[in-house]
Amino acid sequence: MNYVFQFNVVWDHLPELLNGALLTIQLSAAAMALGLCLAVLCAYGKSAGPKPVRWLATAYVELIRNTPFLVQIFIFYFSLPAIGLYLSANTAALLAMTVNLGAYASEIVRAGIEAVPHGQVEAGRALGLKRLQIFRSIVIFPALKTVYPALSSQFILLMLSSSVVSTISAVELTAITSSLQSTTFRPFEFYFVATGLYLAMSLGFRAVLSTTYWAVFQRRGVV
Amino acid sequence: MKICLRLLTLALLVAVPALLVAHPVRAESTLDTILKEKKLRVVIDVANPPFGVLDKSGQPDGSDVAVARQMAKDMGVELEFVQVPTAGRISALLAGRADVTIASISVTSDRAKAVMFCNPNGALSIVILGPQSVAIKTPADLVDKRIGITRGTLEEAAVPKMAPQGTKIVWFDEIAATIQALLSGQVDAVAMTSFAGKTMEDGNPDKKIETKLTVTTAFYGPIVRHGDFDLRQWINTWIFLNTQNGTLAAIYKKYTGLDLPPLPVF
Repeated sequence: MNYVFQFNVVWDHLPELLNGALLTIQLSAAAMALGLCLAVLCAYGKSAGPKPVRWLATAYVELIRNTPFLVQIFIFYFSLPAIGLYLSANTAALLAMTVNLGAYASEIVRAGIEAVPHGQVEAGRALGLKRLQIFRSIVIFPALKTVYPALSSQFILLMLSSSVVSTISAVELTAITSSLQSTTFRPFEFYFVATGLYLAMSLGFRAVLSTTYWAVFQRRGVV
Repeated sequence: MKICLRLLTLALLVAVPALLVAHPVRAESTLDTILKEKKLRVVIDVANPPFGVLDKSGQPDGSDVAVARQMAKDMGVELEFVQVPTAGRISALLAGRADVTIASISVTSDRAKAVMFCNPNGALSIVILGPQSVAIKTPADLVDKRIGITRGTLEEAAVPKMAPQGTKIVWFDEIAATIQALLSGQVDAVAMTSFAGKTMEDGNPDKKIETKLTVTTAFYGPIVRHGDFDLRQWINTWIFLNTQNGTLAAIYKKYTGLDLPPLPVF
């Protein structure tokens, strides 16, 4: 096969590719923040909430973890209009990513909560702290510190799986790449550059996440 | 012993220059490979009615599929389908995953920069369709409307050119997703072939979908990689023969319900 690579086409369209990468970063960062909040809420509900809350949290986690991400996206974008809820492609994508991450991360956070020595919780109770106070001041930070590596991997995975949201017309990096390759007919060049951009974004997110670890846990001396 | 050595030297003196001036073997063409391996690999898109669909038993069907089957039969080789999404019809061919794409690829000069077109084997129109409630009578009415189109199609090339500034174009990867976007109300109108539009209209009578505008009419044909001249010539010969004997017209009529217009050649 003699294929002649022509990368100059890619450089002409670099601003569009970078715009796509920017939306990927925005969607991923927002979904990470919102998803982590959802995960902590869920994990708290599952480990300390009343029974109906536990059931609800379990149902949510099992439903999301046992269905494909693509189908979840389609439901947010194509099925919600049936009940009169029209979400733009970006909003639907962000919602689907948040809900998806929330389920996976809540199991990770729950593992961290269970790893906190029981004696510490009992000590808090002996001091007269309420359940939420114990969770907030004693449990959550050491729990997050324990599972931080697993959480980071889940965050990166989320960023990479965000490429799927191009199917509902969200114009992130994969969407831009496939549009450009289909109009310029230079598929290899564009996919190579997109691969490089994804790699750079993964490394970038990893760097930000390690800095966050240092700022939140090490500097504050969480044990 | 001495004689043996002399004979060996003599043999080398004759043989080595003979090897050096031997004719270089011509690189095997794609057509040679197809005939040798008795297998024709064809890219098809089965999410594009009526050209490519999956029948009730999940087997590929449609006018493109029928053309590919007849072509392989006449060539006397086995047929292997390479199914791709609409946007991958050209890249799968360029990547060498198949020998030819038969997926209603309309002839455009931009596409000819990447692949070689064979003579057309059919014609299609790109139209804009929407529900009765959406008012589109002229291209100017497209302003502020959300128009769904599919990546890697003729409409992706044609619609942005005719749409006035302010039209909100929304891209999907497959025609199925574009249709779903119209049916769920995520877009106001969609652009696709008139045939795909008809399938959508017939399948969803309650949505009252109608054709609003005709964007362009085009001829489509099989494509091969740049340089595959002998395969292209074989396919052109096949198209010539099957235009003459009416096979192409019969396939077109069977799947689209229309008479095949006279096919130009180039």
